[in-house]
Amino acid sequence: MSPEDLAFFGLAGVAVVTALLALLVRELVHTILWVSVFFVALAGLYFLLAAPFLGVLQLGVYAGAVTILLLFGVMVTRKRIFSREAATGIGPAPLGLALLTIVLLATGAATASTADRPLAMHPVVALANTLFGIDGGWLLLLGLTMLGALAGAIYLVREGRE
Amino acid sequence: MVSLVGIAPWSPEIVLVAAALLVFLLDTVGVKRSELFAGLASGAAALALLFVVADAGFAPFALVRTVDPSAVDAAPAGGLYAFSSLGLLFQAIFLLTAFFVALASASRPSDEKGSAIFHGLLLIATTGMLFVAVAADLVFLVLAIEVTSIATYLMVGYTRRDPRSLEAAMKFYIIGALSTALSFFGVSLLYGAFHSTSLVALSGALGGTTQPTLALLGFGFLLVGLGFKVTAVPFHAWAVDVYDGAPTDVSAFLAGGSKKIGVFAFFLVFIGPIAFFDARGAHCLTACGSVYNFHPTLAVSLGVLAILTMTIGNLLALMQRSMKRMLAYSSISQAGYMLIGIAVGTAPALAGATLQVFAHVFMKAGAFLLVAGFATIGIGPLIDDYRGLGARRPKASVAFALMLLSLAGIPLTVGFVSKFILFSAAVQAQGFFLVLAIAGLLNSAVSVFYYARVLKVMFMDRAEPVPAPLPGPPVAGGSEPAVLAAGGFGYGRATAIALATIAIVVFGIYPQPLIAAFQSAAEHFVLTGA
Amino acid sequence: MTSLPLADLLGLSAALLGIGLFGILTRRNFILLLIAVEISMNAAILNFVIFSAFLSGDAGVNGQAAAVVLVGLAATEVAVGLAIVLALNRQRGSINVAEASSLKL
Repeated sequence: MSPEDLAFFGLAGVAVVTALLALLVRELVHTILWVSVFFVALAGLYFLLAAPFLGVLQLGVYAGAVTILLLFGVMVTRKRIFSREAATGIGPAPLGLALLTIVLLATGAATASTADRPLAMHPVVALANTLFGIDGGWLLLLGLTMLGALAGAIYLVREGRE
Repeated sequence: MVSLVGIAPWSPEIVLVAAALLVFLLDTVGVKRSELFAGLASGAAALALLFVVADAGFAPFALVRTVDPSAVDAAPAGGLYAFSSLGLLFQAIFLLTAFFVALASASRPSDEKGSAIFHGLLLIATTGMLFVAVAADLVFLVLAIEVTSIATYLMVGYTRRDPRSLEAAMKFYIIGALSTALSFFGVSLLYGAFHSTSLVALSGALGGTTQPTLALLGFGFLLVGLGFKVTAVPFHAWAVDVYDGAPTDVSAFLAGGSKKIGVFAFFLVFIGPIAFFDARGAHCLTACGSVYNFHPTLAVSLGVLAILTMTIGNLLALMQRSMKRMLAYSSISQAGYMLIGIAVGTAPALAGATLQVFAHVFMKAGAFLLVAGFATIGIGPLIDDYRGLGARRPKASVAFALMLLSLAGIPLTVGFVSKFILFSAAVQAQGFFLVLAIAGLLNSAVSVFYYARVLKVMFMDRAEPVPAPLPGPPVAGGSEPAVLAAGGFGYGRATAIALATIAIVVFGIYPQPLIAAFQSAAEHFVLTGA
Repeated sequence: MTSLPLADLLGLSAALLGIGLFGILTRRNFILLLIAVEISMNAAILNFVIFSAFLSGDAGVNGQAAAVVLVGLAATEVAVGLAIVLALNRQRGSINVAEASSLKL
C-alpha cells in the first residue's frame, strides 16, 4: 500500500464516520463538531486529489464559515445550548432507500474505468481563466443567486417595527 | 472584450435585474409603496417580454430585436448558452407569468410589509427562469434553476409573521435543496462519463461514452432532481403543502411559472441531446415512434412517471375540501400531461407540452390570482365557502369558471387546444405511447368531476344566509383591506384576471397562429437539439 | 504524482450521498436536515473533484471550476436556510419540522 492509498482510506474513513456521527448524535452542538471534522477530512481529500485550491476553499468556506453559521444557528434557536434532536424511530424504508442508492452507485463506480494514470494537477491560472473568462456565466449565476439570497435573508431575520 | 453589441442579447435579463435593484434601492431609501414596486416589476416584465417576443421572430416588433436572427436555432457549438425558438417561447411564457403576478399584486395594500422583497425576488426569480431557457450547459442549467429556487423559497416566506407561510418556506427549502444536491450529483456523474458538462457533449447519449453505466446513473439522478421541480409523483408531496401555505400570489407564480423551468430542463436534458444525436430527426418530426427508440428505458420510465403523476394528482384532487389544495393537486396532475409530451418526445408532442405550459399561465396562475382576490373580499379557503358565489360576484365567478373549464380541457378554451395537440401527438407515436394518450384522456374525464363540483357549488347551490365579509382572510395572511376598488379586487388584479380570461377564450377559439408558432419552434428544437 | 483507484473514490462519494439521503429521510430537526443536505452536496462536489483529477486540460479544469462554484452555492444555501430557521424560531421557539403542525409532512 502506498502512502497515498493509506491517506485516502484514512480520510475516507474519517469522512464517512463523522458524517454518520453528525446525523446520529443527540446533542446538536456535537453534531456541529462532527460535521466540521467531516469538512476538514474532505479538504484533505481535495489536497490528495491534486486540487489544493479547492482544499483551501473547503477549509475557509465549509470548515470555517458554514460551521460558524450552523453553530450560530444552534445557539440562537435554543435557550439551552445543548439541545437535542427529538427522538424518532428509524424505519426500514429510509435505510433501505439510502442503501439502495449506495449499492446502485457503487456498481456504477465498479464499472468506471480504472486506468492507472497520474492525477492531473490543474494550475490555478487555468482555473481562474475558466471561472472569469469570457464565458464567466457560472459565476454570474452564482452572483445572481447570492443577490436574491442576501436580500431575502436580511428581510427574514430583520426585526421590523411592526 | 465586452461590448454593447455583446450584451445586447441579454437585454431582457438586464432589464429585470436593474428593476430588481431599483426596487431594493427604493425600499432602502424609505420609499415603501407597494403599487410603485408592482408597477416597476410589471413594467420591467412587459419590457423584457417585448424584447423576447421580438427575438422569437414576431415581425411587428422587429425593431427591438436584440438577438442576431442567425444565432437563433443555430447548430449547438458547445458554449454555456444558446438561443432557440422554443427557449424564447418559454421565456415569453415565464415573463407573462411574472407580469400577471406583479400586476395582480398591485392591488395589495399600499403599506404592505415586504412588498419590496416580494417584487425584487419575483424579478430575480424570473431572471433565473430566463437563463434556464437559454442554457446549453448542465452546470449553467442547474445554477439557473437554483437562482429561481432560492428566490422562490424566500418569496414563500415573505409574510414572515404568518406561521403557515414560514413553514411552507422551510419545507420548500429542504426539498429544493435536496433536489439541487441530487441534480448536481447527476451532473457530476454525467461530467465523469462525457468529460464535459456541455449539452452538446451529451448528444451521443449513452452511445457517446465509454462509461454507459455512469451516464445512465447520471441521467437517473438528474431525472429525480428535476422530478422534484416539476412535482412528478412520487416527488410531489411537498408541492401541495407549499402551494397551500404560501401567500396565494406566490402560489400563482410557483404553479404557473417557476415549476415550468423543470419542464424545459427536461426538454434540454432528455430530448435536446438525444434528438441531436439522432440523425433521423427529420423524419422523426411527425411519426417514427419516438426519438428514444434507441433507448426505450428512458421513454418508458418517463411514461410511467407521467401516468403516475396524472392519476395520483387527480385522485387526490377529488378528495380535497380546500380550494388551494385542490388547485395544487390539479397542478400536479397537469404536470403529468406535460410529462407525456416529454416521454413521447416527437416535435408535435413537444409543441403540445409547451402549449400546455403556455395555457397554464392563464388558467392555473389566473385561478390562484383569483382565489387570492376572493380571499380579499372575505371568501374562506374551503370549496364550500364559494357557495352561491355566482349570484354575488357574477363576473369574477364566470372568469373562475372559464379557468376551471380550461383546466378540465373543455372545447373552446385554450386548455382543450393544448391537450388535443398533446394527445394526438401521443396517438401518432403509436405503441406504448397509445397507452399514454388513453391514460391522459381517462384522467381528463376524472378531472372534470372536481372542477364541475366547484362550478356546482358556485352557481347551483344557494348562498349561506350570512355572507358578511370577514376581514383578515385566513389563507393569504397579511392584512388586506376588506373593500377595494373594482369589485373588491383592486384594479391591478381585476385587469390581470380579465386579461387571462380573454386569453383563455381567444386562444381557445382561434388557436391556429399559436399552434403554428409552437410547432415550428418544437421542430427546430428536435432538429438542432438546442 | 499520485494515482488512486477511481472506483474507490466514487464509492466514497456514493456512501456520502447515501448518508445524506438517510439523514434527510429520518431527521426532523431543521438544522440536522440542513447538515444532511450539505453532506449530499459535498458528495456532488467531491465527485466533480474526483473526475477533474482524472482528466487533463480544459475538461479537467471545468470540473474544478464547477466544484468552486458549488462550494459558493452551498454556502449561500446554508445562509438562506438559517435565515428561515431564525425567522421561524422568533415566531414559535421550535424548529422541529414535525411540530410544523398546520401542514402535514
